[in-house]
Amino acid sequence: MNKKIYEFEVIKGFILSNIFAFIVIAVSRFLKPDPGIFVYAEFVIVPLLMGIISAWCWKNMEIKGKRLTGFSCLNGALAILLSAIFLGEGVICLVIVSPLIFAFIITGVFIGRAMFRKDNTNLNISIFSFLFMLFIVDSVSKHHYENLVSDVIVINAPAKEVWKHVVAFKQIEKKNEFWLFRIGMPSPVAATVDGYYEGAGRKCIFSNGYIFDEKIVVYRPGQDLTFDIVNQPKDPEIMGHIDILRGQFLLKDNGNGTTTLTGNSWYRLYVFPLWYYDVWAESITRNVHLRVMEHIKELSESR
Amino acid sequence: MFAFVVKNLAFLKAVPLLPLVFDSLLRLRVFFIKPEILDWLDELEAEASTWPGMSMAVHKYGGLQFNYRGKEIAHLHSNGLLDSRKTKTKLILEGRIQEHHVFAKSGWISFYLRSKDGLDYAKKLLLAAYLKKHQGNLKAEF
Repeated sequence: MNKKIYEFEVIKGFILSNIFAFIVIAVSRFLKPDPGIFVYAEFVIVPLLMGIISAWCWKNMEIKGKRLTGFSCLNGALAILLSAIFLGEGVICLVIVSPLIFAFIITGVFIGRAMFRKDNTNLNISIFSFLFMLFIVDSVSKHHYENLVSDVIVINAPAKEVWKHVVAFKQIEKKNEFWLFRIGMPSPVAATVDGYYEGAGRKCIFSNGYIFDEKIVVYRPGQDLTFDIVNQPKDPEIMGHIDILRGQFLLKDNGNGTTTLTGNSWYRLYVFPLWYYDVWAESITRNVHLRVMEHIKELSESR
Repeated sequence: MFAFVVKNLAFLKAVPLLPLVFDSLLRLRVFFIKPEILDWLDELEAEASTWPGMSMAVHKYGGLQFNYRGKEIAHLHSNGLLDSRKTKTKLILEGRIQEHHVFAKSGWISFYLRSKDGLDYAKKLLLAAYLKKHQGNLKAEF
């Protein structure tokens, strides 16, 4: 095949699949009951169809598997770049989403290659239509998911001492260990309060200066501090994807000079599939908990 | 990692598409870490496609499936693991292949393609599986 034609066909595969993806995602914004939610179909069916479309563009080129993999990676990178530009996604979001995009585009390309080798038009149209139908059904379905993450540590100090550092705590100086915090995801650094009573305002300050405004809803010294998040920061990494709804610290005096501290967070996810994103959400929430709770432990034990 | 997933998460293979996506992740990893494996897989595929009666398909658990007259004789996962129908006990005695990585004593064997030298051996295994079917088929025809 002539080099120019070859290059044109390769680029056609990139362009057509990305145009298709953006049209479909734009249409789904109108179909979805809640346009702010990113559904399973957008992260699974769309990349899969992108791969199949690319394979269709490349079907007569006899591209070998290694090169197809490389082209799929380029196509995925292009889709991710366009998402960053047009959907305003942050770097961490793109890091999180990229394994899904790459894996499903590659899968789509190789399924597509097998489909177009067989050249059974009826079968190909059936597969494409089935996937497109799945996309529509998923887009118009209602999605709502809330979860609780709970972590427990034992602190070698009485509950009265621990409580002093639970309501508000000074700056966390310790270096981040969690890899997402290391590459730029904001991590908690301090908490302040307006007062020590139910209804008081509390602020949880993150490393990039973002602040979660909270309101204390349960204030039982030495036992229970529960707060609702009343204002989320407008961070591109979390905006519209996850809402932290409520946080809680429960203290249990173990009667031997130690205290069991339980940290709970309730959140709502706006990105699906859950089998993928909830793993990330749980992991991030758990690492936020542990960073704060280990800081509280350190402050309490160094009394 | 592959061995861990295959051993502990094998029940997930029933989830539609999931084994294929897992294979794509293996392919992605190999592409960045040891891309020459993908060249060898391509070479094996190119060679097998020249044999009469052979066709390729996507394997139900991910990877490339080699069919002789529509029936599977081997499949190749994207990390370079070739699973083939057992042909000659002699090959097992050579010590380079092992029982199938999931289904031992199933009449299937596994061979890891890890070097250029291994590619020739993989071709030999695939050809042996092919010839067994092909010759059986010829005997049946005449």
